[in-house]
Amino acid sequence: VRARLLAAGLALLAGSARAGVRPAWGGELRVGLPAAPHLADPARAVDPADLFLVRAVHAPLLEIDAHGALAPGLLAEVPAPEEGGRVFRLRLRPGLRFSDGAPLGAPEVAASLCRLLARDPPSPHAWVALAILGAEEVVAGRNAIPAGLQVLSATELVVTLALPLPDFPWALASLPASPVSPAGAGAGPFALVAQDPRGARLVANALHPGGRAYADGLLLSAADPRGAARALAAGTLDLVLRPEAAGPAPVATAALLATVAAVNGPRLGPGAEAVRRALSALDRGELARLFARGPAEPLLTLAPAALLPAAPPAPAAAGAPAPPGPARLVLLVPAGAGEARAAAERIQVKLFDRGLRAAVSAEEPPRFAARLAAGDYDVALVPVPVLALRPALAAAEIALATRGPGAARQALAELGVAPPAELPARLDALARALDLVPLLATGERASAGPALQGLRPLPDGGLDPGDLWLLRGGQR
Amino acid sequence: VTLRGKLAAAFALFAAVPLAAALVPVSRALSGALDREQEARLDGAAAAIQGELARLGEGAAAAVQDLARAPELEAFARERAEGLLPPAEAAGRAAEWMSARGLDVLALLDPEGRVVSAGHLPGRAGDVDPELWALVREGPAGRPGARVVARAGPDGVAPAAALLAWAPVPGEPLVIAGGFALDGDRAARLAALTGGEVTIRAADGAPLAAAARPGDAGGPAFGGLRRALGGLASGRRALLLGPADAPAARIEVALASEGLARARVTVLLAFLGALAAGTLAAAAVGALLAARVTRPVEALRVAAARVAAGDLEARVETPASGEVGELVRAFNAMTGDLAEGRARLAQAERVAAWREVARRLAHEIKNPLTPIAMSVETLREAQARGRPDFPEIFEEGTRAIGEEVRRLKRIVDEFSRFARLPAPARTEVAPEDLAQAVLALFPAPPPGVEVIRQVAPGLPAVLADRDQVLQVLLNLVQNALDAMPAGGTLRLAVREERGGVAFAVADSGPGIAPDRLERIFEPYFTTKEGGTGLGLAIARRIAEEHGGRLEARSPPGAGAELTLWLPAAGR
Repeated sequence: VRARLLAAGLALLAGSARAGVRPAWGGELRVGLPAAPHLADPARAVDPADLFLVRAVHAPLLEIDAHGALAPGLLAEVPAPEEGGRVFRLRLRPGLRFSDGAPLGAPEVAASLCRLLARDPPSPHAWVALAILGAEEVVAGRNAIPAGLQVLSATELVVTLALPLPDFPWALASLPASPVSPAGAGAGPFALVAQDPRGARLVANALHPGGRAYADGLLLSAADPRGAARALAAGTLDLVLRPEAAGPAPVATAALLATVAAVNGPRLGPGAEAVRRALSALDRGELARLFARGPAEPLLTLAPAALLPAAPPAPAAAGAPAPPGPARLVLLVPAGAGEARAAAERIQVKLFDRGLRAAVSAEEPPRFAARLAAGDYDVALVPVPVLALRPALAAAEIALATRGPGAARQALAELGVAPPAELPARLDALARALDLVPLLATGERASAGPALQGLRPLPDGGLDPGDLWLLRGGQR
Repeated sequence: VTLRGKLAAAFALFAAVPLAAALVPVSRALSGALDREQEARLDGAAAAIQGELARLGEGAAAAVQDLARAPELEAFARERAEGLLPPAEAAGRAAEWMSARGLDVLALLDPEGRVVSAGHLPGRAGDVDPELWALVREGPAGRPGARVVARAGPDGVAPAAALLAWAPVPGEPLVIAGGFALDGDRAARLAALTGGEVTIRAADGAPLAAAARPGDAGGPAFGGLRRALGGLASGRRALLLGPADAPAARIEVALASEGLARARVTVLLAFLGALAAGTLAAAAVGALLAARVTRPVEALRVAAARVAAGDLEARVETPASGEVGELVRAFNAMTGDLAEGRARLAQAERVAAWREVARRLAHEIKNPLTPIAMSVETLREAQARGRPDFPEIFEEGTRAIGEEVRRLKRIVDEFSRFARLPAPARTEVAPEDLAQAVLALFPAPPPGVEVIRQVAPGLPAVLADRDQVLQVLLNLVQNALDAMPAGGTLRLAVREERGGVAFAVADSGPGIAPDRLERIFEPYFTTKEGGTGLGLAIARRIAEEHGGRLEARSPPGAGAELTLWLPAAGR
C-alpha cells in the first residue's frame, strides 16, 4: 500500500511537471509485455507483444494523426483514389533508408506488399494486399508479383486493385504494410540488436524518417500481472502494457482485439444451429464487462463499434425452437489468449445451462492455426487484432483469420464500396454467411512508471515507442 | 441297453441320489453364513465411507472458515469495495485460492447470490449459482452439507456431488462457499477404502462418478459360473447425502464379495466333483459286478445266436454256478441233442434217397428189359419152329434189343453224369457270347418256330464255367423246343438283374401246371416221353454251384419261362 501511495504521488508530481518539462533524450525504456516478443516481422506478427515490437522496429507507409485522419508517413502524401477507387499512386519521401542503411524506395515497398501474399508460410495479414489486381495468382503460387503492382520509379509506384476499395490507403497505414529491408530491418524508431526467449533489446534508429527516438534504447520483456505491478512500483519497469492495470491511472488503448467464434457447421451437423443460437444469445455486454481483463466492448458485428458510423443492429431473437444440439463439443482456443479463454469458459457455462456439454481445449498458436485451417474443430474462438481502422478492412482481417483468403476477398467485395448506412447490416449478413459469431473486442492498459512521459495511445490501439521519453533522460 | 449297462446305471443312481440330496442343505447353510459375513462387511464399508465423508465435510468447513479470515480475502474484499478490482480479475482469484487449499469447489458470492469468483466454474461469474446459494440460505455457516454442483473439467461442465460449507467474509457483504467434490478420484479413494465398487448418483439416480477397487472384477469364467449358480450377487448399500427426505445425492457401495463367493463356489464345485466321482465309481463297480453275473448269460446269448444261425456245434464254455449254471448245462445238452437229431435225420434222408434212386433205377432198367426179354423169347421161338421168316424176325429182334441196350447205356450214362458232375472252372464270360453260342447250335430252328433274341447292351461279365452254363442254356432251349412240337415262339432274353445277369428262355407252348412248377427240378421227374428227369435237376445244380439260381414261372396261357440268373463277375 505504501508503495502504491508513493507511486501515485510520483505520478502526480510527474503530471504537474509534464507541462513545464521539455522532453529529455537518452535512457533505456523498459517495457513489460504479456509475453516476450519473438517476431519482428510485420507480415507475421499478430500477438500483442510482437505487434509492439513491430511498431518499434518498423514504420508504416501512412500515419494516423491525432484526429484519426490519414497523414503522410513514409509516403510523401496520402494517395488519392483514382478510377473509382481502383488505382492508387504511391509516392515515397526521397532519401529514405532502413535502419540497416539499405535504401527504402518503391521496389522495397512493392516487395514488402508481395511478402504479404506469400504462399508458404501464408501471412495472417494478407488482407492488406488481397485487393491488388493479380493477388489471387500470387496467393495460389501461380505468380510471384501481382499484376496490379507497378514500380514507376525509385520513389513512385502504382497499385491497381481488382475491385473498388476507396479505403485501401487505410490498409497501407496499418503495421503489416510497413516496408521491410531484404535483411529484415525496418524504418521504425528503433532497431533490434538482440533477442532471446526472455525479451528483446533495441537501440534508437538514427535513420528513422520521423526523427531519432527520445530514448537511446528499448528493453522489452514478459511480465505477469503481479510481477508487472511490483516491477512498476519498484521502478524496474517504466511501462507495462497488459490488459490488467499494473499501476495507478493506466491509459486504456482502443479495444481492437476482436474475438469471434467460428462455428464448424459441417462438423456439428444438425446440432450446429443450437450452438449458433446459444452463442448469439450470449450477453456480450456482460461478457465484456465481467470476463475481459482489459478495456473491452461487446462485438456485435464483424467490425468493432468504434469503426462503424452507426450502432450495429442488436442480435435477432431466436425464432422457432432450435433442433437438439450435439451431445458434446469442444471449444478450441489458442493457448495464451486470455480473453478467448475467458469467453470460452463463459460459453461453456451457458451451453451447459442449455443442456449442451462443451469442453475447452487450448492449443499452441501454430497448432491452433493449423487446426483452424484444416477444419479440425467444433467451435473455435479466434482472437484477431484489428489493425486497419475501416469496417471493410476489419471484416476482411477477421474473415481471413477465420475462413481464409476467399472469405477475405468476399468481405472486401461486399463491403468495399458499401454506403455507410448499410454497413452494419452487410457486416451482419457477412457474419452469418461465414458462420461467425462476434463476441467481444478488447484492448490493453498502459501503466506507466513515474519517469515515463509521452504516453499517447494511437488510434489503432498501439503505442509509438518513439514518442516515449524518460524524465532526466532516464538518469536515476 | 444291455443288462450290464442297466445294472451299472442302477449302481450309479444309487450313489448319486444321496449325494445330490445332501448338496442342497449344505449349500443353504453355506449361503446363510456367507450372507451374514457379507452384511457385516457392508456395515464396515458403510461406516468407513461415513467416516471419510465426515472427515471431508469437516475439512471443507475448516478450509472455508480459514479462508474467510485470510488476509488475501480481506484485501480482495477491500479492493473490490474500492473499485480497484475489475470483475474479470476478481473472477480469477477463487481459482488460485481453491488450488492453494486443495479444494475442488470454491466460490465467492455477493449478497444476491451472484458469483463474484468461482474456481470450479470460472464462467459462472455474474450468475446466481442456485446450488451454492441454496447452501447459504438453507444451512448454517460452518456446517458441511451435500450438494450437486456444476463443475468444469477436462470434458466440459458436469454435475458433481460435493461436500460444501460456507462462511461469511467478516465485515464484507460476501460469503465464501467451498468444499470437496465427490468425483471420480474421490470415488476411487472410497473404493480403495472399502474394497468394493463405489457409485455416486444424483438424487434422480443419474450416475455422477464411479470407481471399483483395482482387480475386483474377477475372471470371466468365474463370473459366468457365479451367475449360473445364482444367489451370489454382490451386496449393495446406499448412503444418502443430505437430508433423508430430500437427499442431494447418494453413494452406493457394492462389495463384490469375491473371496466369499469364490469360497462358496469352491465348496459347490467340491460337492459337484464328489458327486461326479462317486457316481462314476459306483457305475464302475456296478459294471464290474454285473460283468461277473452276466458273463454266462452273455455267452448263452452268443451261443443261442450261433445255434439260430445253424451252428449246432455251439457250446457255452463259461463257468457258471447256480441257476445260470443249470441253464448253461441245459443249453449245451439241448444243442447236443439237436446236432445228434440232425445227423440221424440226414442219415435217414440219405437212405431214403438211395432207396428212391434204387427204385427209379430199377424202374428205368426194368422198362428196356421187358422188350429185350420179349425179343429174345421171339427169336428162340422162331428158331425152334424153323420159321422161314426167321432172318427178318432175327433182324427185327436184334435191332430192338440193340435199341434197348443203348437206352440202358444212356440211362446209366445220365446217372453216372449226375453223380459225378465236376466242379465248375469259372472264368469271366460275356453274356452276349453265351447267348450267341447257344443260338448258334440251332442255326435252323424247327419248322414253325420263331426264335427271338433280346440281349441288353452293356451287360456285365459273369463268372462262369462256359461249358456248364452252355449245357444249362442248351437244356432250357431244347425243352422249350420240345414244348412246341407244332411251332411257336422261342424268346431268349438276356438282361442285367439284381447285380447279375438273367438268361430267360420262354416258349409259347402249353406251359407248366402250377403243381408241377417246383417238381420239374427234382431228379427223375419228367413230363416228356423217354425223358430221364435229370436234365433240369443237373441244370439247377450247375446254377447253384455258380452261386446263381434257376427258376421257372408259367403264367396261365402264356407258356413257360425258365430263368438262369448268374452273379456278375467281381460281385
